[in-house]
Amino acid sequence: MKEELCSHNWEMINVQQGYIVTENCFRCRKTNTYFSVGEWPPLEEYREGEHFWNIMEVAQSIRFNLKCKVCGEVVQFSELAGLMMCTGCDEKCKVDSLMKELEKSRTWVYVAFGFFPVDERKQLSPEKITILEEYFNQRRKSSISRIKIVSSDMIDDIAVCFAEMIRDVGMLSLSPPENE
Amino acid sequence: MKLKEIIEKLSLVILTNVEDKEVSGVFISDMLSDVMSSAEMGNIWLTVQTHKNVVSAANLIDIAAVIVTNGKEVPEGTIELANRFHVIILSSPLSSFQLAGKLVEVGLE
Repeated sequence: MKEELCSHNWEMINVQQGYIVTENCFRCRKTNTYFSVGEWPPLEEYREGEHFWNIMEVAQSIRFNLKCKVCGEVVQFSELAGLMMCTGCDEKCKVDSLMKELEKSRTWVYVAFGFFPVDERKQLSPEKITILEEYFNQRRKSSISRIKIVSSDMIDDIAVCFAEMIRDVGMLSLSPPENE
Repeated sequence: MKLKEIIEKLSLVILTNVEDKEVSGVFISDMLSDVMSSAEMGNIWLTVQTHKNVVSAANLIDIAAVIVTNGKEVPEGTIELANRFHVIILSSPLSSFQLAGKLVEVGLE
């Protein structure tokens, strides 16, 4: 009851630094992504049952929860792999159409991605996407622009999507400094 | 403090279209995930990153302006994207550390 009446005011809590790891099995060609919290990212291939996983990309990122400063409700976002701003690369894509429609009113469209494989991992619910959108719009409350967050389900063909997720790629070196 | 006043006082190089805005403070990081978690709307963001994703991160929080430090060249693709999404990109030959000092001198923290 308390939650229903609350006009939530979200804050980011439990921010955890880590790595979004993308790996590919050379036997079945499946792509797998996950969040790793270790001090160092995994870099070597390994076997898991019938899969032989090869690391394709490691990017630094964060994992977080949102907490309502008013009612104390906490929403976990462990299913969120990242956000991507739509830049309009495929006229047939529904996200592209939405972006072009909302661009006139300075509303920018971001796509929320879960982890791969999509059919094997729990994905963000529409309710959580709405909360995420509320949170980022609350952080830019006095701005003349707004943001809209949609699910990656709206993208028809991810293979032709040019945009990139907000994460830190290329910030890691495989070679340690010489003096260490 | 207004953005145009800061641009003038610090002789910043303008790389995109500029709208005057109120600046609320300064955020320094080269990590987009830091911006996503900790930057505040209206901050000036000092970074050496110049790739297109800088525009996505700045837009998410509504950063007042991105200042690319160390005189790093910003790719044309990043500037085009910034103009389309009304993200202001400026440049300075100073390091982030030196520029932060100058921003404090003009009254920003």
